[in-house]
Amino acid sequence: MAGKQILGDDPFASGEDKEAPPPPPVDVKGAAGEAKPRAKKVVPDSVAADATVEHAPPPQVQETYSPVETRPPSEYGPSIDRPPPAGHRHGLVDEVKHLEKSVRDRVLPARAADGRPEERQKLPLEFVWNRWRKLAMRDRSDVVDEFGRDPNVAARVDPLLEFLYKTYFRVETRGLGHIPDEGRALIVSNHSGTLPYDGAMIMHAVKEEHRAHRAVRPLVEDFVFHFPYLGTLMNRIGGVRACQENAERLLTQDQLVAVFPEGIKGIGKLFKERYQLQRFGRGGFVKLALKCDAPIIPTAVVGAEEIHPMVTKVTWLAKSFGIPYIPVTPTFPFLGIAGLVPLPTKWYIAFGEPLYFNAEYGADGANDRILVNKLAEQVRTRIQEMLDALLKQRKSILFG
Amino acid sequence: MPADRKRAPKKKALVSRPPYDPEQRVVAVTGAFSFIGAELIKRLERDRRYYKVLAIDIRKPTFPMSKTQFHKIDLTLPTADADLAAIWKREGVDTVVHAAFLSTPTHANAWAHELESIGTMHVLNACAETQVRKLVVWSQTVVYGAHPLNPNFLSEEHDLRGGVSRSRFVKDKVEVEKQVRRFSDEHADTLVTTLRTAATLGPHIRNFATRFFARPLAPTLMGYDPLMQLVHERDVVDAFALAVDNDFPGEFNIVGDGVLPYSTILAMMGKVSVPMPHFVAYSLSRALWATQVFDSPPNFLDFLRFLCVADGAKAKRVMGFTPVHDIKATIHDFLGVGAPMTEQGAAQHATGGV
Repeated sequence: MAGKQILGDDPFASGEDKEAPPPPPVDVKGAAGEAKPRAKKVVPDSVAADATVEHAPPPQVQETYSPVETRPPSEYGPSIDRPPPAGHRHGLVDEVKHLEKSVRDRVLPARAADGRPEERQKLPLEFVWNRWRKLAMRDRSDVVDEFGRDPNVAARVDPLLEFLYKTYFRVETRGLGHIPDEGRALIVSNHSGTLPYDGAMIMHAVKEEHRAHRAVRPLVEDFVFHFPYLGTLMNRIGGVRACQENAERLLTQDQLVAVFPEGIKGIGKLFKERYQLQRFGRGGFVKLALKCDAPIIPTAVVGAEEIHPMVTKVTWLAKSFGIPYIPVTPTFPFLGIAGLVPLPTKWYIAFGEPLYFNAEYGADGANDRILVNKLAEQVRTRIQEMLDALLKQRKSILFG
Repeated sequence: MPADRKRAPKKKALVSRPPYDPEQRVVAVTGAFSFIGAELIKRLERDRRYYKVLAIDIRKPTFPMSKTQFHKIDLTLPTADADLAAIWKREGVDTVVHAAFLSTPTHANAWAHELESIGTMHVLNACAETQVRKLVVWSQTVVYGAHPLNPNFLSEEHDLRGGVSRSRFVKDKVEVEKQVRRFSDEHADTLVTTLRTAATLGPHIRNFATRFFARPLAPTLMGYDPLMQLVHERDVVDAFALAVDNDFPGEFNIVGDGVLPYSTILAMMGKVSVPMPHFVAYSLSRALWATQVFDSPPNFLDFLRFLCVADGAKAKRVMGFTPVHDIKATIHDFLGVGAPMTEQGAAQHATGGV
């Protein structure tokens, strides 16, 4: 960096030398030349290294490294996903603003004390960049939970989900009482619809209509999860990559997990195959339920299988786009992007009675492959029955 | 633990070695000039239970040393193992800390391989020869590799997929881990601890992470925003000191609490992000690496695309290692502002109210 300040708030302009003495305490005036000198707490470097943000008041480091056990012992350690302190706007913009200011104060103490306007070298088009950055950060919070859910992004997407839920798909739910108010549970559902709207709707249904307003963590297939933008968005609103380790960790934390064992086969069902459940993976969800002692809540989603009536799918061209297939529906790809608008079908989501496999077979049952497959088949049959019952009642695809 | 973990009968079992005295320990540190080596030696200097520290490097550390002996040994030389063994036997070393690794990728592939892989072989040979009681090896979580199939939290038992990458930097580290694992299987009476540190930031340390975040610009891959994990330099030294102090055989992830998306980290550091489609970025990076303009190999872009976050639960449970700095504290300290966020927040912090 060689002392050249490019951004002005470059933290590395000084402090190259590791044994450098702490900067002399200087009273810092505001950068805009405020008349009132603001009292600033100046701490020597050694202490500053111990100070942290308010989210995690740490134990003071002692000179000898006896590890101090001050935090509550939890299996996975403390997470930074804590409720924000009251009265503080918990956004990335504020955090960044503050950081920029403190870095400026640290790097340019002498200049700020002079009260002269800052002379700093600017990047070309810095104004544009700053505006863009502020726009990009507007809806982001400065923390995410350990699986990447950002509460601000989730809140931002909420109105869209609400519109889809209430107005567009007019979702009706049944049996929400089967979902426990607290503690772990595994929602197992049929999967369909080319794009994973059903996961979003289950999430929204439980959040809005369940008495405990619980957050559902849907497990997302790899191909969606690593799809540019879509995967990141799914992750920020609560989706987690579908794998055994992630699911186990979520269930151990007593969360509500939604899994779609049909996976990619389910989401890519043709219109003529609608409401015919595909093979349920390799029964990984049963192993999970047995191992983690989580009840399985069989769930049937009716309506999602018609939103993109897929006539056929093209696989040979899809490889080069990094997706498993290109759907061909009456509207897509003939209408281009407009063809991706889903059909406004009437949806029903039914949650069935929980199945307690662990109580019956114990955690060791997870190693019995034949038992696992048998139980997976049992769950599949249960969901198929629920689907058939709902379909029998339904008179119209669009109006229910 | 494999069942066949039995020590092969050794011919030189009767080495004259002073018995291990927990109050008079002798520790050898390779890579003494590096940040981890130097900071660890400084701590051992202060601790009365350590009788002597052997600092091994090709450059003499700059801090004042009272009970530390400096030995200039180049681990890339073919006779390094014999030299090390002779010195360790003479001084009665009971613990070896092997931290002589590169913290930044280099274009000098052959030399890097000699230092990391062959250097480790020499250290392990010397350890076998002198039958040291304990060996602590530094590794990094990059050995897991940023892979699309990684779970959100990688445990210590997870495959080391970093080896499939074409990066010499990561490949050598995976090779080192394999050698160390084989050594610990063959020598049951040497206690082997491997500490895998996440990307380490701090006001003093210099490595590829600090270099990356010291630039005003940072590349981002369009549509990808993986979660990242950092650990503070001080916590890393804490972990090493813990591992030297007590006996914790096995591998441990040394990571800080919390994760943040890459873009959030960049925003907090005040970087200008340069978004690129990933296929453009990969070929650009490959070209820049091949022409030696860039100092990070092309497959380092995987870390900007996929998850590589390790689970520190085992270190907490077994070692009792609790990182003092969470990810935000690490970033704040790296920026040189270890202060609370806002005045409002500071007031709340002071009153302890929520």
